[in-house]
Amino acid sequence: MQKNNYLVRLTFDKGFRNAVLSLAIKTIKLRYKNSLLGVFWSMLNPILFLIILIIVFSNFTSIDNYALYALSGLVFWNFLSSSILQVLTSFIDNSSILKSINLHPFSFPLSATLAALINLLLTLIPFFVIMFFLGYQLNFSLLFLIPMLIVTSVFILGFGMLLGTLNVFFRDIQLLWNTIIPAFFYFTPIAYTADMLPESSRGLLKLNPFYYFIESFHAIFHQSKIPQMDDFLMCCGLALVSFVLGYWVFRKYRKGFISNI
Amino acid sequence: MKSNNDIMIKMSQVDICFYIQENGFISFKDFLLNIGKYKFLQKKFVLRDINIEIKKGESIALLGKNGSGKSTLLRAMSGIIEPEKGKIEVNGIIAPLLGLGVGLEYEMSGIENIQLSCALMGLSKAETRKLMPEIIEFSELDEAIHWPVKRYSTGMMSRLAFSIAIMKQPEILLIDEVLSVGDIGFQQKCLRKVEEIKNNGATIVFVSHNFKEVQKMCTKGALVNNGSIEFYGDINEAGARYDQLFNN
Repeated sequence: MQKNNYLVRLTFDKGFRNAVLSLAIKTIKLRYKNSLLGVFWSMLNPILFLIILIIVFSNFTSIDNYALYALSGLVFWNFLSSSILQVLTSFIDNSSILKSINLHPFSFPLSATLAALINLLLTLIPFFVIMFFLGYQLNFSLLFLIPMLIVTSVFILGFGMLLGTLNVFFRDIQLLWNTIIPAFFYFTPIAYTADMLPESSRGLLKLNPFYYFIESFHAIFHQSKIPQMDDFLMCCGLALVSFVLGYWVFRKYRKGFISNI
Repeated sequence: MKSNNDIMIKMSQVDICFYIQENGFISFKDFLLNIGKYKFLQKKFVLRDINIEIKKGESIALLGKNGSGKSTLLRAMSGIIEPEKGKIEVNGIIAPLLGLGVGLEYEMSGIENIQLSCALMGLSKAETRKLMPEIIEFSELDEAIHWPVKRYSTGMMSRLAFSIAIMKQPEILLIDEVLSVGDIGFQQKCLRKVEEIKNNGATIVFVSHNFKEVQKMCTKGALVNNGSIEFYGDINEAGARYDQLFNN
């Protein structure tokens, strides 16, 4: 019985919450220490990609405001891919703490997710400035960003925890991730739109879990609409499945962490 | 129940295992092919059938060869490793000093590191604020406390780490060979601090290869060998048996 309440107990444990928050803040602080541009670094990569995409693709597409479409896709693609990597490596990054401080190991993926989310919120400030430049108009669909961010974070936490647990035992997981993720970039409608593809290959895109997240963010920022309900429900489903699976694998194999890190 | 109140740590029939992934990560392919056929993690017993009772105010030395499981025993007492079997009861605030400098971030200042380490050890912000002046004073780092830790010498780093670890006013102190830090002056200061904590009624479990240091501080010794506690009792006897291990 007690075991079932485990997650709940942790969430209400003040010391645990404080530790997770401190770890997340530390990660953010370290990222921007000794750098003049600070948070703008996170924007630099999408902007660079944006310029390339505009040069290469804007002549081929008929979508209006391609720049806004590409930018919103890029920002959230970066959020997804980089934060999953951070959660994935969180156990190994914190191996010394894991071995000698009595802190529940769940705090590492959790704080990595939190740090990624805080970082995204900081990035959104310059992002909005550029978006207004590109002709974005504030509207109510933006409110849907909040549930979307929550669902996406749960997905990141669960999926990262699943891969992260395996990564403790097989370090090739993180290498694999770094190899696969650029390929997935082209498998996700960021540089192009889904309806540019022939009908036959469009179904293939839907096998990609990132598709639903990116399409939902596109809806909010590019079409100024709330996401399509089946896309959003799919995001919720993916988040739930990945969290349950990730947490289950983590609980099952966490006893092997100390002897394998 | 009342009679148990002065027992601070009680381990009964505790087994502790390591889980080794023996195939090594070269054979990830093999792992995928053999899913379900073999156990993914192999169990390896590190400690078997450990029974020990440590009373309030006692100070115990853990003796044993390298790799005999002393540190694992301390980790189990502090709750970092869960036992495979058996029961570990701990009554009181426990401060494990298992690795000094763990969690120190080189890019952050001494002060920021104190805040972080305290949070990781489970202290609230208010408690940390209260302890802060004491920690800074004990570390004798003066204005260096505002420097980034990457500019510290090894000794300074250990001073900072030890000062953080020791200030929590623990009822149980677990020390794993961490007292040989800093210069002689600071080492003695650390030992005095441990002594002070002990005199305040705290329980201490001590791993050290410096038997003389241990002899001064501890009343009882436990000899860990071949995954079990071979002897638990008077410190001098434990020391003699420990020496015998190497004479044979």
